[in-house]
Amino acid sequence: MWCLSGLFGSRVGPAWYPLLRVVSKGSQHYPPVRALQASAVLGRASNEHKEPLASPSQQHFDSPPAGHQPEQKPQGLHHSYTGQGGQQSEDYESEEQLQHRILTAALEFVPEHGWTAEAIAEGAKTLGLSVAAAGMFHSDGSELILHFVSECNSKLSELLQKEQKLVQLGEAEKKPIDEFLRDAVEARLRMLIPYIEKWPQALSILLLPRNIPSSLNLLTSMIDDIWHYAGDQSTDFSWYTRRAVLTGIYNTTELVMMQDSSPGFEDTWRFLENRVADAMAMSSTASQVQSTGEAVVQGLMGAAVTIKNLAGLNQRR
Amino acid sequence: VPGGGAPLRPCSTRGAQRGIHKPVIDRIIRVDHAGEFGANRIYAGQMAVLGRSGVGPVIQQMWNQEKEHLKKFNELMVAYRVRPTVLLPFWNVAGFVLGAGSALLGKKGAMACTVAVEESISEHYNNQIRTLIEEDPEKYKELLQVIKQFRDEEQEHHDIGLEHDAEATPAYSVLKTAIQLGCKAAIFLSERI
Repeated sequence: MWCLSGLFGSRVGPAWYPLLRVVSKGSQHYPPVRALQASAVLGRASNEHKEPLASPSQQHFDSPPAGHQPEQKPQGLHHSYTGQGGQQSEDYESEEQLQHRILTAALEFVPEHGWTAEAIAEGAKTLGLSVAAAGMFHSDGSELILHFVSECNSKLSELLQKEQKLVQLGEAEKKPIDEFLRDAVEARLRMLIPYIEKWPQALSILLLPRNIPSSLNLLTSMIDDIWHYAGDQSTDFSWYTRRAVLTGIYNTTELVMMQDSSPGFEDTWRFLENRVADAMAMSSTASQVQSTGEAVVQGLMGAAVTIKNLAGLNQRR
Repeated sequence: VPGGGAPLRPCSTRGAQRGIHKPVIDRIIRVDHAGEFGANRIYAGQMAVLGRSGVGPVIQQMWNQEKEHLKKFNELMVAYRVRPTVLLPFWNVAGFVLGAGSALLGKKGAMACTVAVEESISEHYNNQIRTLIEEDPEKYKELLQVIKQFRDEEQEHHDIGLEHDAEATPAYSVLKTAIQLGCKAAIFLSERI
């Protein structure tokens, strides 16, 4: 199969690329995930063992070497396909990059089809691939949603980085913390607006036990990003309390947004403003409570020493 | 490792930006920060009991060096965007109790605690130095320098403890073993949680 790839010219991607083009475009039948993953395994297996494939069918029933990652990467499917000499050709697209392109293309169809395999199939069609490409993914659209969240987080990160550069260059004023947090959360939530109709469906899928590790990971890294660019330098327990509070604000505001029908989501932004103000007040209250507590302790210590003196118990040694 | 199966790279992009192996550095900085924080609290506990005794100035001087160490790790933690261990409030109390408790056994007891803890920490720093050198000594030059310097200073503290009759403490070997076991457990937990 590897020597055949040369026949199609160097622009051909992974070995099974031609397979996708050949399967009929009109078909609505999505082959089971295993079959296409097994052919994807052709590439992975040869990458692992670096020997030329005798015949594709031999590898067809091998189980994917799931545990065999050469490095520690968070999610699977990071292998690039290599040519016969084990060298990486720049014209080859990795499976991950291909999936990335398909999912990005599929986002356009989400408002119409929801977060489903149909949207992925339509996305694959626009790239000139067969609808069978949707079989690469789970049928509930999990990967599409996670891809979308990941893209939004990256966009937010870039946005915050750009703002930070402007402040460093002196071209913009440094925002006070509450305004910064408010703007960051609002910017991130605004990215949901084009998909807001189908977002409740996405939220419920993200809460599936299978998806919780990934979605939690994405959520925590987004919140950490926001605090980092807000200038948080805490190295004690407040690192956790700040992130917990902001996570709470983000999640509740997101839920409010789902049910908001006001023009331009102004109810949501007002809710957000109030929650951030609450959080600021809470932190100042917490520090007030702490200093009051300390003052009370000092007072008690003073009283104890006074009593000891009066009772003659405080003899100087 | 999350099992979404989707092409996502939430954490490794940040490490990739600086070319460092983020999970390894994360653990190293987190556990070292926790260690210096705990050491600070131990000396604070010892000073609370023995501060006005003859050995007070010695302990104070060692404590000042630990404060410098903690400051450095606070900076590194922010620079590498590492999360502190959740157990910090616990180490806060446990460290103080250990310091005060050992000091209540007398001057020798406090010194014995110092010897035990500093020996654990020196060994631990040596392990980290080995790990970093195995990974890439060039990439982690600054971090290696910091850890080497701190290891040398902890070794000094260990020697000061021995000079001050740590070994003459009653039940010295039992005390030392118990404290070192505690340190090993603390290191194990702080790396992960």
